[in-house]
Amino acid sequence: MTGWLIRLGPFLFLAFVAFFWEVASRLGLTDPRLLPPFSGVVSVMIGLLHDQRFRGDLVTTLTEIAAAFAIVGPLGLAAGFFLGENRAAYRMLSPLLHLLLSIPKSIFLPIFIFAFGIGFTQKVIFAVTLAFFIVALNGIAAARSVPPGLVTAARSFGAGHLQIYLWIYLPAMEALIIEGLRMGLIFTITGVLLAEMYGSAHGIGRQIFAWGEMFRLPELFACVLLVVVVTVSLNEVLRIVEDVSRSRRRGF
Amino acid sequence: MSRRLRIVRLILPMLFVGMWELAFRLELLSPIIFGSPSLIWMAAMKDGGSFLLAFRITIFEIATAAAIAWTLGIVVGAFAGSSPILARLSAPILSALISVPLVILYPVLIVWLGLGPPSKIAFGVLSGIFAIALNALVGVKGINRGYATMAAAVGAGKWQIIFKVMLPLALPAIMSGLRLGTALIVIGVVFSEMLGSTDGIGFWISYHRSLFNTGHVYLGIMLALLIAGLANLGLSLVERSYSPRIDQALPK
Amino acid sequence: MDASRPSVAASRGTVTVIAVEHLTKIYGAGKHALSALADITFTVQEGQFITIVGPSGCGKSTLLQVLAGLLPPSQGRVSIDGAVLSGPCPDKIGVMFQDAWLLPWKTAIENVEFPLMLRRIPRPERRSRAMPLLHLVGLGSFAERYPDELSGGMRQRVAIARCLVQQPKVLLMDEPFAALDEQTRTRMGSELLQIWEKTGGTVVFVTHGLTEAIYLADEVFVMSARPGRIIRRLRIDLPRPRTFDMIGTDAFGRLRNEIWDLIADGHA
Repeated sequence: MTGWLIRLGPFLFLAFVAFFWEVASRLGLTDPRLLPPFSGVVSVMIGLLHDQRFRGDLVTTLTEIAAAFAIVGPLGLAAGFFLGENRAAYRMLSPLLHLLLSIPKSIFLPIFIFAFGIGFTQKVIFAVTLAFFIVALNGIAAARSVPPGLVTAARSFGAGHLQIYLWIYLPAMEALIIEGLRMGLIFTITGVLLAEMYGSAHGIGRQIFAWGEMFRLPELFACVLLVVVVTVSLNEVLRIVEDVSRSRRRGF
Repeated sequence: MSRRLRIVRLILPMLFVGMWELAFRLELLSPIIFGSPSLIWMAAMKDGGSFLLAFRITIFEIATAAAIAWTLGIVVGAFAGSSPILARLSAPILSALISVPLVILYPVLIVWLGLGPPSKIAFGVLSGIFAIALNALVGVKGINRGYATMAAAVGAGKWQIIFKVMLPLALPAIMSGLRLGTALIVIGVVFSEMLGSTDGIGFWISYHRSLFNTGHVYLGIMLALLIAGLANLGLSLVERSYSPRIDQALPK
Repeated sequence: MDASRPSVAASRGTVTVIAVEHLTKIYGAGKHALSALADITFTVQEGQFITIVGPSGCGKSTLLQVLAGLLPPSQGRVSIDGAVLSGPCPDKIGVMFQDAWLLPWKTAIENVEFPLMLRRIPRPERRSRAMPLLHLVGLGSFAERYPDELSGGMRQRVAIARCLVQQPKVLLMDEPFAALDEQTRTRMGSELLQIWEKTGGTVVFVTHGLTEAIYLADEVFVMSARPGRIIRRLRIDLPRPRTFDMIGTDAFGRLRNEIWDLIADGHA
């Protein structure tokens, strides 16, 4: 029972925040020019979702995220698996990986703009760069988590290389792969939004920044709320999938 | 550290810088995108003065943000960690909130606090406080109750137990939270300056980007990285002198 | 306890130093209430070495925690040296647990000084009170060592010194040697007796081991299974100082059997 309560924790927290927000607005505790009431923000958000222009921006952002994730997911995992299984490569490249992971990449955005301009490509490549290292790191952990005995046993049954990969490696690593992809998605979304806010003509990030500049707070808050809800939900859903996968593999 | 490794660690960066400059001289890479050490040097010579002025502002913002984030983060995290119920409830909330890209809140901060240092400081605080609080929570939570019981038995009052027993025991975790959090604060402050500001290193970087002054841009980026790195180094030196004894006593 | 007092025998008097009246301890409430201790009444005279034994879960540790002032009674009361207990009383009661809980960033001597530091006693005075105690427990040359450099037995000895630094009248010990290996445990037992002979004072020692209980004690309290009560108080008339060869004697064996039977019956 408490397990579910804790699962719902973040959403309950957001609900509480929304509740107090609304109450404070109604009681006149907050300046509506600085903090529009929650109910107002929600109705604006619904309005936005019907608005053509906003939808266009939404599609732009989602496409960037999808493209970046489609690249960084397989690429990062493949790199991670390679390093996890290959001891020599690991010893040589792992310090480099950790170093690159620890270097903050957001401040390199101007360089990305020099290289790729401010369009779709630049944002996708930046997001891939941001997310790649964390996915690779998780990939390494996943590859290393497979008990070697498992592979030996499979080989002894005459399983071929691809079969071993599909039917033994991947299922064994499932939970860690999902965790890696979850973090990769979070970093991808962050990367896309960062790039859009810094230098872009379209997209949700750009729009948020623009509304800020125009002091159009209801729209600004509506969009922020949308992003918060979507990212928290995605994160929690993937967490649940991860936990389910983990509990199913309890043998390892 | 072995002598060989030490020599390699010194030579490798110098080699890297040398090859970078060589690539620039031989026009192997686009100078706009990749710059060169000589361009950075020239930028420092030409605009070093204005740069240092910007540096002072950024350092001020970072220091203020750190002071706030450290205090609030440790207090809130330690408080949450000291109560088992609070800890169980707040840990998933904190980790869920970390998944939200903080940058989307920045325009709100600009509207509320203006383009000057206050909004940068606020964004810096937000960037680092979650990592600090979460680590403080975990650190305090992991303390064995026996220490508190012993302290009570020898006559320690409630505050004495917290400050003379619990906090030192939680110190390794708190320090690692401070290390991570401070790096995030530095980057948060610089990036927010890049997005919208009147001064500071980030503003300097963005300004020179618009002029395609690659040398200046790289100079700014290097400096931001240097600050983050120094903060990290400083904190890990402090950590090293205090923590090892405590670390050994804690259950793994 | 005063490190300079003469032999304990002379000071073993008829002064009551621990008085327990109708002590009951219940955890929780309503349907889930757990009765740990049921209506316990006893007194302990000054200078006595008492051990408490009983089946697992009988509430020995709970009793000790209440005596230490770390847990409040649900009913009844505990008086130490004439005053009713309402919380930890470090200048009258010293407590030891299975783990020494030494603060890892403090040296041995600093750990012994810790209770004094809490009372803001200045450094020179702290040092002059703590050093003799470290010598007493045989760790004088280890004063500047850190806990991670000490063995389990040594850490417990530091804990003993820490207990004594406030010169309490009563020492409460909750299975302090249970985590040590057998040889160390036996050695620590006889060292404890030697320390006690030198410093005087009253000791209440909880243990699982019947041999240890009989070897150390003037009187063994036998507790029943939960809810715990004192079934029997057995006088141990073996002469002091105790020696290891007493353990093999018939008298010892008879005492062991008697206690064993009591515990077995106490389950019923």
